[in-house]
Parts: sequence; structure tokens; C-alpha cells
Amino acid sequence: MKLKYTIVLVALVTLPFSCKDINSGEKLNPLQPANQDETAGGWKPIILTNYATQLPLPAPAATNSASYVAEMDVIKKAQSKLTDAQRNTINYWSVGGVLRWNQVVRKLVAQYNLPPAPRGDGSYIFPDAENPFADPQFPFANPPYAARAYSYVSVAQYDALKAAWYYKYLYNRPAPYTVDSGVKALGPTSDLPAYPSEDAVLSGVTAEMLKVLFPTAVEEITLLAADQRNAALWSGKATDSDISAGLALGKAVATIFTANSTGVFTIPGASGASTTTLSVNIATRGRFRTDGIGAAIGNATQWQALADGAVAKGEIPWISQDLPVRPPMLPNFGKVVAWNMSAGQIVSERPGPPPSTSSEEMKTQLQEVKKYSENATREELAIVYKWADGAGTYAPPGHWNDIAAEYISNARWSEVRMARAFALLNMALHDAAVGCWETKYFYFNPRPSQLDPSIKVKTGLPNFPAYTSGHSTFSASAAAVLSYLFPNDAQFFNDQAKEASLSRLYGAIHYRADIEVGLAHGSRIGSYTVNFAKDPQKDGGD
Amino acid sequence: MNRFLLVLFFCAAHLAYAQTLDDGLMMPKKDFCTGILVTHSQWNNYWEGTLKRDNQNVGTLSTTNITWLGNYGVNDKLNVIAMLPYVATKASQGTMSGMQGIQDLTIGGKYQVAKKEVGTNTLSVFGVGVFSTPLTNYTPDNLPMSIGLHSTTLSGRAIFNFATKQGWYANFSPAYVYRTNVTLDRNAYFTDGVQYYTNEVRMFDQFNYNVNFGFIKNGLQTEINFYQQDTLGGGDIRRQDVPFVSNRMNFSTIGVLVMYYLPKPKNLAVRFASTYTMDGRNVGQTFSVMGGLLYTIHFSKK
Repeated sequence: MKLKYTIVLVALVTLPFSCKDINSGEKLNPLQPANQDETAGGWKPIILTNYATQLPLPAPAATNSASYVAEMDVIKKAQSKLTDAQRNTINYWSVGGVLRWNQVVRKLVAQYNLPPAPRGDGSYIFPDAENPFADPQFPFANPPYAARAYSYVSVAQYDALKAAWYYKYLYNRPAPYTVDSGVKALGPTSDLPAYPSEDAVLSGVTAEMLKVLFPTAVEEITLLAADQRNAALWSGKATDSDISAGLALGKAVATIFTANSTGVFTIPGASGASTTTLSVNIATRGRFRTDGIGAAIGNATQWQALADGAVAKGEIPWISQDLPVRPPMLPNFGKVVAWNMSAGQIVSERPGPPPSTSSEEMKTQLQEVKKYSENATREELAIVYKWADGAGTYAPPGHWNDIAAEYISNARWSEVRMARAFALLNMALHDAAVGCWETKYFYFNPRPSQLDPSIKVKTGLPNFPAYTSGHSTFSASAAAVLSYLFPNDAQFFNDQAKEASLSRLYGAIHYRADIEVGLAHGSRIGSYTVNFAKDPQKDGGD
Repeated sequence: MNRFLLVLFFCAAHLAYAQTLDDGLMMPKKDFCTGILVTHSQWNNYWEGTLKRDNQNVGTLSTTNITWLGNYGVNDKLNVIAMLPYVATKASQGTMSGMQGIQDLTIGGKYQVAKKEVGTNTLSVFGVGVFSTPLTNYTPDNLPMSIGLHSTTLSGRAIFNFATKQGWYANFSPAYVYRTNVTLDRNAYFTDGVQYYTNEVRMFDQFNYNVNFGFIKNGLQTEINFYQQDTLGGGDIRRQDVPFVSNRMNFSTIGVLVMYYLPKPKNLAVRFASTYTMDGRNVGQTFSVMGGLLYTIHFSKK
């Protein structure tokens, strides 16, 4: 009897301790596509031009060749002594590389989404891509930087997998576990040809893109990429030659995106007095280098011109409310190249002006913000915190990738179709960032808390002009693409977008005009990507 | 950062003459002491991880804490103590909105395990169990403005008290605090190098202890004290990041306490305490001042 009480007592004491550990992961399904999208090698590339001529991948050795048999022995030997850690690696990647890498990018954005700290004299240093390990770290993965980063990784993966599919069905080399019954299939099986390995393609293209986007995470990135290739081998999915072909293909695709080369390297001297220009004969520079991101920060003259422009129009210009006063976030991001909109379309889709800062309408809208700043309900605050997505988070574009991941995992799609879904989503989100930033800096409209300093905000106040709301534009563009991909859930995506948009009014960060016009703008921007996806001449995945 | 913790802790640790959960004093049987304590605490500097800095977007973060306190002597060996604070926060600069509301109810029992006379001195040992839980649905996800961490806690404390006949005393009191996980209004967050996809946040337990030296005689108590809290896990605030509910919040404070039972009206005591944070990690360098009135009702006497 005494023992029984002791057991109960011990259980009561230890139970709460044992329950505290939590699982960090999303619930993702093992990759078991209903359809392998055999024709994806015929879908149109976005940045690549021709899979066959641009990436001439040689034919693999026959499966009855001596070299192939030797490769099978390597797999068998590895499988004969797998450790628990290696089995965990196989399981980790069994949900598919596209979903795993999307998680990794979200994590990296959150990790790098921190603004530079002010120096003692009240000035700020910008993160330096040439010295990324310094304080402040490079990059500051703010919302526009993040939108661009997600889009480059997703588009590069999509192009690389279409190229991989082209060669897979050109050479039709089966997976090791179907060739030799001595090789075990330790993950999901399929009839997808193994050469080049899609896992290796993804490891190569993604790691190379991430190394330029998040250079100081190189160790984590390369270890993960190697794990993905190892998992392909250990699970019996791919041989060494499948993997090396995939890795070469993936890296080559990334290089086409990121090549820093008209062959000209312009290196400023440390003192700024001299500049060395070195011309090397390489191919054309990649889109990643020429899309205008380097000029997005602008300079003090341009920042002043923005304020002067607003004053000239009779408006009160936006002023940073960070202390010390911080330069505006990426004022020239509106000139960065978009994916599915021309520069002209970015301008022509720009919403009309906000209510004048001196108008009665603005006073009315300001009063509404003030009301929320003083009387938001707990339910409204929950919406503010749910969608805050500020410093130290994966940012609004990451939030929509998070939402999409569950639907994409549940859709039982092939890897290439999953990559397509993320590419479409993230192209729209990037274009939303470009369109929204172009609008913000065109009008340079002050935040409610600037016009009325008694207005205090419920979550971090972003350091850029108010009109229009970034959350609203991002969310509506994402909802447009996800509604196209998953029409049965369109209502849910639109409701979420509306909620994200309202969260900024509840948080006293935006006027009603910012959020309503932003939603409509985002919706129009999203439709450009939807039209791209529907057009067989542009995409071909429909 | 965790001025609320500081505040809560100050209530628990520094308030009472014969009333607190970590001193060597007991309310006599059927005596009930109740009162209101008002604490003002503030910081200009905080520790971002281990880096001490200021932040002009906060300026001075001040917290006002109004706590109701009650302590009942069930018998001469067992006291039951309850506390309920209202907390309000405010930043002197920047755009962040302050927050306010009823915070966490604390209920504790203090039991005298042993008492031994050694010459003219007395050595006492107490065991204390404390339960605290949030009474309102405030968010812990808006630090440093949030009014609390919204975790339910269970703590076990031992008190070793040495008192001389003349009125000198020394007190040592270590405690282990079990904290339940908390939930946020969002389904994903990044902390300590990991991106989590859940609204649940792992809250690491805490160890704390206090050491007090004082003198008590003729209704006057004066004391100096030291307190140390260590959180047994959790991430640091990164450079220029906002604080997070599960950060490893550590700190040590020094403090003074004066309590005086007024000659008239009888049974009314005034209490004053102040503490200063000497060192910390992921917390504000808080300076706090507390004043309060406590009234004792003797139910046993007609």
C-alpha cells in the first residue's frame, strides 16, 4: 500500500517535468506523390533558357556496367552498418527536399531578421556583404530582403528540378533499389528515374543560393546539403553517379542565377581612395547580381529627396520614429526587378494617393487608429501578435510559406510540382514587396504615430512609410496564388489575408486606407503570377 | 525585460515582517495580516544576453505594481499566504504602448519543520510550497511591455533561520521553481537558434536563493538582503532583437527593508523596501522602491 502511494507521488512529481519538452517541427508527410509529372522536363524555364544546350549532362553508365555494380556495392555496404543518426537523417529528408529547404530558409530569415544596432554616436552601419561576419551581421533579412530570398531559392529550385526531370526521363535510369534487390528502400519508393538525383540537385542549387543570401550560415548550409545527398544514398534512392550528376546540375543552375561576371570585378580600396577593376572573361552576370538589390539602400541625398518631394506636394513627409533616427528601409527596393511584372507594370499598378495629410479624411482615419491604440480587445490583440512577424521572425513572406507548406505537403505532389507551388507563391510575394515598396516611397506617407504622437503601437513599428501596408500587400498576393493552387480553400486564404491586413490597424500601425488599398493592390499583383502559371507558353505546369 | 518577475519576486521575498514566504518569521495562530503594497521599479539599461546596453526606443521602462497581500496563521506552525498584483508598464520614449492588468495569483503555505534553541539563540527550519498562476489572459509575447510571463509555477523552498535573543537574525532560503510551458497567439517563433512551429514555448525551471541579515526588536525590523535567480535553460536576446518569454533570465539584487509597527493605531505597520539589480542576463537593471501598509487582525481575541 505504501509502495502504491510512493509510485503515485513520484508520478505526480515527475509527470510535469517529462511533459515539458516540445517538438519544434511541422507535421509533414513522407513524399508519396500521386503522379510524378513525367512531362515536367517540357515545362518552361524561368531563368534558364534551354535545359539541353545550357546544361549538357552526359548520359549515365548502363546499369549492367562494372562501374554501376561497384556503386551498388557502396550502397549495400553503407546500408549494412547504418547508425540511428543516419536513419534519422533518412527520415528527416523523406518528406522531400523542397519542403525541408523551405523550412531552412524560413529559419535563416528569422535568424538574420535583425536590424543593425546603433553605434555610440547615434549612427548606423549597414550590413556589408563583403564583411558578413562583422557587427551588424549580413544580411538584415527584413521583409523585402526576405521576399527576394524566398523567391530566388524557390525559382532556382523549380528551374533546376525541371532540368532534372528533363534528364531523368531522357535517360530513364531506375532507382538502385529497383535494379538490385540487395539494395533496400529505406524511404518512400517510386518509379521516378534516379539520374540525376533530385535530392542532389536540390542540395546543390539550394546550398549555392543560400550561400550568397546568408553567407555566414555556410557551415550549417553545407552540412545540411551533404546530409541530403547522404540520405539519398543511404536510403537506396541514388548511387554516387546519380548524386554527382545531380550536384553538378544543381550547382550549375545556381551559378547561372548568381554569376558575378560580365567578367568585371570592381573592388574598392579599403581607404576609398582607389578602386581596382579586374576584367575576366566569363559569362554574363546572373539575374541575382543585376536585379537592382545593390542600390536598394540608396544614399543620404536620395533619402532627403524623398522627404523634399512629399513637402513639394504639400504633404507631411514620413520621418523615422526609431531612436536614434534610422535611415529608411530599402527605399529603392521598388526598382528591384520583379518576376512577373515589368517595371512599367509596377508603376502602372501603383495605387492612387492616400488621403492628404492635411485632409479631414486623414483626421477621421487617424481617429480610428487612435481608438484601436486605446481600446483594442484581447481578441484584436491576439490578431496583432499572430501576424506581428517583426524583428527576429521569418517575416510576412515566411508566414505565408509556413501556411502554404501544410497544403503543399498534403497535396501529394511530385517534388517538381511542390517546387512550382513555392516558386509561384514566392514570385508573387517578391513582386508584392517591389510593388508595395515602390508605392511606399512614391508617397512617403507618415505613420499614425508620427501625425499623432499620443498614438502608441501594440507591436514593433516598421521603419518605412505607411501607405500602403506591406502585410496587406504580401497577404493578398499570397492568397491569390494559393487560391489558384488550392481552389477549395480559397475562402480560408482570403480570410487569413484579411485578418493579417486588419492586424495592422488593430496594432495602430496603419490607417484603414493603407490596409484596404494594400489588399486590393496585393490581389492585383498576385494575379500576374496566376496568369503566368496558367499560360502554357510561360510555365506549362497547369 | 522581466521587471514583472523582479516585482513578483520582491513581493514574495522582501515584503514582510512575519509574513513572507522566505523569511524566518511566522504569523501566530488565527492572526490575519493583510495590506496593500505599491512598488515602482524602473530600468534604463538592460542586458542583451550578457551585453549591457541602453535603448532609446524604450528610454526608461517603468513598472507600477499594486499588490494585495494576505497572510493567515492556521496555527503557530502553519501560515497560508496569498498575493495578487495589478501591474502596469510604460516606456518613457519610443512608440511602444504600455500594458496593464491583473497579473498572477500566488498562494503559498509555510510550515515550521524544526525549531531548536541553542543557548540564547534559535535555529529554525521551514518548508514552503508556493503555487502561482495567471488570473487574466495577458500576453507574454510583447516583452518588455508584457506584464508577466503567463506561466503557472510550483515552487519548493527551504528556509534556514538563525536568530539571537537580542534581535539579530540571518536567513538563507533556496528554492526550486517549476514553470509550466506557455502558449502564444502565434504558431511559430524563433528562439535559441531554432525555428519552432508550435504556439507552445518550453519554459525552463528556475533556481533562486536569498540571504538576509537583519535586526528586529520592539516592532522595528531592518534588513539588508541579497537575491540570486538563475533560469536553468533558454536562449539569449540576440543583438538588437526583442526579448522573448523563454529567455534565460538571470539576475542578482541587493536590497534593504524597513518595517515598523506603529504605536498607534495598533496593529498597523508601515513597510519600505528597495532593491537594485547588480548583474543580470536578459533582464533590465532594475531599481525598485516599495511602500506599503499592513494591518493585522487577531481573530483569536475578542
